[in-house]
Amino acid sequence: MEDLHAKFLPQFVVLARKRLALALTAAIARDHSATSKVVRELHTLAGEAGLLGLHEVVPLARECEHKAKALHASHSDADADLLVGGLRQLEGVIERIGATAPKAGNS
Amino acid sequence: MAAVNRDRFIVRAELRVGNDSVISYGFDLTSSSVFVVTEWNAPVGTTVSLRLSFPRILDPIDVTARIADIRVAGEPGEPAGVGLVFDEDSAGACLLDELERVESCGEASPSAERPYRVLLVDDSWLIRDMFAYGTAKFFERPGALAIDHAEDAEEAWAKLAKSTYDLVIVDYFLPSEDGASLIARLRGDARLARTPIVAISVGGRDAREATISAGADVFVDKPLVFRDLFNTLRVLAERRERARPVPERKAILVFDDSPFALALTRAALESAGFTVAIAADLSSFERQRVAFDPDLILVDVQMPEAFGDDVASTLRGWHGVEVPILLVSSLEQSELERRAQRAQASGYICKGAGMSELVRRCRELLEVAP
Repeated sequence: MEDLHAKFLPQFVVLARKRLALALTAAIARDHSATSKVVRELHTLAGEAGLLGLHEVVPLARECEHKAKALHASHSDADADLLVGGLRQLEGVIERIGATAPKAGNS
Repeated sequence: MAAVNRDRFIVRAELRVGNDSVISYGFDLTSSSVFVVTEWNAPVGTTVSLRLSFPRILDPIDVTARIADIRVAGEPGEPAGVGLVFDEDSAGACLLDELERVESCGEASPSAERPYRVLLVDDSWLIRDMFAYGTAKFFERPGALAIDHAEDAEEAWAKLAKSTYDLVIVDYFLPSEDGASLIARLRGDARLARTPIVAISVGGRDAREATISAGADVFVDKPLVFRDLFNTLRVLAERRERARPVPERKAILVFDDSPFALALTRAALESAGFTVAIAADLSSFERQRVAFDPDLILVDVQMPEAFGDDVASTLRGWHGVEVPILLVSSLEQSELERRAQRAQASGYICKGAGMSELVRRCRELLEVAP
């Protein structure tokens, strides 16, 4: 499984960055019409991280997914700020993983 | 040099002159000459190095040849190329022997117990009809050639997983997944890697380069030179190896809306020895389920079109599907367990458990040793 991990990790990082960028943009802009999509993106991110065995990422992504669901229900600034905070934390972990992963396409 | 009377067949032609290198195909092969289809050319009289081959017919043979003729593209079926005459010292008795061996082999085994099986992957019904016509016209013995048909890479992969073919003919332009991608998958699969592959297309040089790079043995332009192609099939049918038993591999169908999860799961399961088909939406899943006839189904739970537990429940209750079904999700374990029970699924796998656990559970359910 190590070779699969090395092959797929760069793709995961690229996809995760896109998903996080979408979620952050929507949360910062208080774009509540995009929140259900953000929930799906974070759920998918958690699943993909789980399959790759990225145990540090899964609980953070799940937590962000729950925060996005809360925001979807409340539309409140407080929940939006909580989501942005969670996403920033998740972003930091993804970037740390990305810094150690081989470049996409090199695997 | 004596000519061989046998009907002509298509060959892979690798041509080299100085720094120029071309991989294409040739026809009108005799013991003294061949016509190689290519946009490349050099002055008449130029000497070239040439390697000719065709899997199961002609082992690679290196000859030196001279350009005797240059043809520009003409009517459909008259592609551009160079007529090459072999240097007698180079080709010598070797090529003559090879061609005579092909001829004598055909005479020695005029009958066969089973048909030569070809999978034609092409979404054109016209091409399918042309192959049916060609089979009737070029094969005197009914049943000597059996051509099966797949309209896209997905259907082809499902058929390849369940049946054995002596040759695969793949069109480059296919819906959704192109022919080069299918060929690369074939070459990457231990069971199918040695199957001869002929790529066909109207796409010219780009299609040729893409399919040859992916692992096709020979590329042939459309419109096809049917006489040579069917003569090739006839020679192959006469020379084919006896069918060898193919080890059974369990088939798993994976349904997930994430292309990344599908690619990763497929790679992990294939490396564990399973045959895998994937589906990213409901219509693809239903097509694959019928065509692929899987031994195990893995279904993601939260997808845009449907919940995986509803899919599992429908398969069990409405379609009477009895093969194991596993829900695969990043939902909380307790919720996943509840959904699996309600849907009469065989169990569940938390994505967070990782690919090793997923492979282990598949082996366990299908009773496959690691």
